[in-house]
Amino acid sequence: MAKVLLIDDDVDFVEMNKAVLTSKGFEVSEAYSAAEARGKIEDVKPDLIILDVMMETSLAGFDLAREISALHPQLPIIMLTGIREAKDLKFGFEPDETWLPVTTFLEKPVNPSDLAERVKEILGN
Amino acid sequence: MNTEAMRILVVDDEPGMRLGVERALRDFEVSAPCINGKFRFDIAQAETGEDALEMIAAQTPDILLLDHKLPGISGLDVLEKMTGKIGDCLTIMITAYASLEVAITATKRGAYDFLAKPFTPDELKGAVRKAARHLALTRQACRLAEEKRQVRFQFISVLAHELKAPISSIEGYLNIVMERSAGDDQATYDNMLSRSVIRLGGMRKLIDDLLDLTRIESGQKKRDLSELDISNVAGESVEAFTPEATEKDVTIELHCPKSLKMTADRGEIEIILNNFISNAIKYNRSGGRVDVTLTGDDDTVTIAVSDTGIGMTPEETDRLFGEFVRIKNPQTRNILGSGLGLSIVKKLADLYGGEATVTSKPDAGSTFTVTLKRTQET
Repeated sequence: MAKVLLIDDDVDFVEMNKAVLTSKGFEVSEAYSAAEARGKIEDVKPDLIILDVMMETSLAGFDLAREISALHPQLPIIMLTGIREAKDLKFGFEPDETWLPVTTFLEKPVNPSDLAERVKEILGN
Repeated sequence: MNTEAMRILVVDDEPGMRLGVERALRDFEVSAPCINGKFRFDIAQAETGEDALEMIAAQTPDILLLDHKLPGISGLDVLEKMTGKIGDCLTIMITAYASLEVAITATKRGAYDFLAKPFTPDELKGAVRKAARHLALTRQACRLAEEKRQVRFQFISVLAHELKAPISSIEGYLNIVMERSAGDDQATYDNMLSRSVIRLGGMRKLIDDLLDLTRIESGQKKRDLSELDISNVAGESVEAFTPEATEKDVTIELHCPKSLKMTADRGEIEIILNNFISNAIKYNRSGGRVDVTLTGDDDTVTIAVSDTGIGMTPEETDRLFGEFVRIKNPQTRNILGSGLGLSIVKKLADLYGGEATVTSKPDAGSTFTVTLKRTQET
C-alpha cells in the first residue's frame, strides 16, 4: 500500500484529503508543521508528499520542499499553493526544476478527488 | 530630536540680496512639533528666472524665495512655468513693487506668501518659519493619509483571506459528500458535515465581530450609557457560558461585590466579558478553571478573567491585541476564532478611558484584565 504524507497547517484540508485518499487505498499520515514533517518523513518513509506552500510563514513550504528533495531526490512532491493569487506572483503551473524541485504544483482550492487522481498518476509512473 | 534639511532656492539678480538671505538662514533652525524635531536649511542660489527653472527641474526645492523683477523672464513667469511642480514647493514672492495686481497674479499661480523689499533678517526668518511649518504639516497629513490607506488595504486583504479559508473547507467537504468520494462509511460523511457547520459558525462569528468592530470604530452606533451594575452583567455572562465550560470539564467561578456600579453601555460590557470568558474556556485544559473577578475603587472598575490553560510566551502576548492575530501552534490548531475579539476589547477599553492587558505563562495560564473608568464623559 503506497504511503502518502500530507503536510498542511489547515486541519480541514488534511481531514478531507485524508478521507478521500484513504478510501482510494492509500495509507495516509499527516504533519501540521515543518518540524513535525521532518520527523514523519523519517518515521513513515512516505512514497509521496503533498505539501502546502503557506505554513507558519509564507516561505516555510518552499524551504521544506528544497530540504526534502536534497535529502530524498527520488521522493515525489505535490506542492499546493494559493500564493499566486495572494501575492500576485506570476509563475506557470509547471515548476522549474532548478528553481524548485517539486513534481508538480496544484492551485488551491483543489478538489480532493482530483488530488487523489494526481497522486495515482504520479505513483503509477 | 532629529533635524531634517529643507532646500531653499533664492532667485534674485542682486548678489547682495542672495548673500544676505544665505547669511540670515545659514544657522537658522525651525522647531517642528509634528516631526518631533527641527528643520535647518540648505540654500541654493539662482541669478535669473531661466537658471531657476533649470535648477527646479533638476531638483525641486522645498521653499522658493522668488524675486519678481528679474533680468530675463519675471518671477511671475517662473511661477507660471512651474505649474505642476508647485505642489511640492512653497513660493515666497519677494517684491519691491508690491502692487495688488502682482500679488493677485502670483497668488493665482500658487505663491504661498509675500515678502516686501527691503526686509530685515527677522522678517525673512518669520516668513521661512511659517512656510517650513506649513510644508511639514501638509507632508505629515499626506503621510498619515497614506498610512491609513495601507492599514485599510492590509485589513481587507486579511479579512478576505479569513473568509475564504472556511469557504474552501466547506466547499471541499460538500464536494466529497456529493460525489461520495470518501468510501462507504457514513460516519466519514457525517463528520464532514458537522465540520462544515462548525466552520460556518466561525464565519458567522467573524462577521458579527467585524460588525462590532466597525460600529465601535466608526462611532456610528449610539452608545446607550446608563448606570449599570456590572456584577449583575458578569453573573449573566458566567451563567450563559456555564454549559460550554461544563462540556469542556472547566469550572467557572465569579468573584465580585454584591453590586458594582459604573456608567456604561450594557452591550459593550457584555462584549468584553464574553470575549474574555469564551477565550478562557476555549484555551483551557480539561479539569481546568476560569475565575472572573470584578473589583472597583473610586475611579475605576477592573474586570479580570484568569484561566489555567495553555498560556503564551511574552512574544505572543505582545502581539495579541492586534487585528487577526491568532497564536498558531499544535495546541491551538483545533481552536477556532475570528482573531478580532481581543482587538475589539482593546478598542472598547479605549472608549472607557481604560486599558486592556494580559499576563501569561506558557502551560500555566493567562489573566486578561480591563480597567475602565467608572464615569464616562459624554
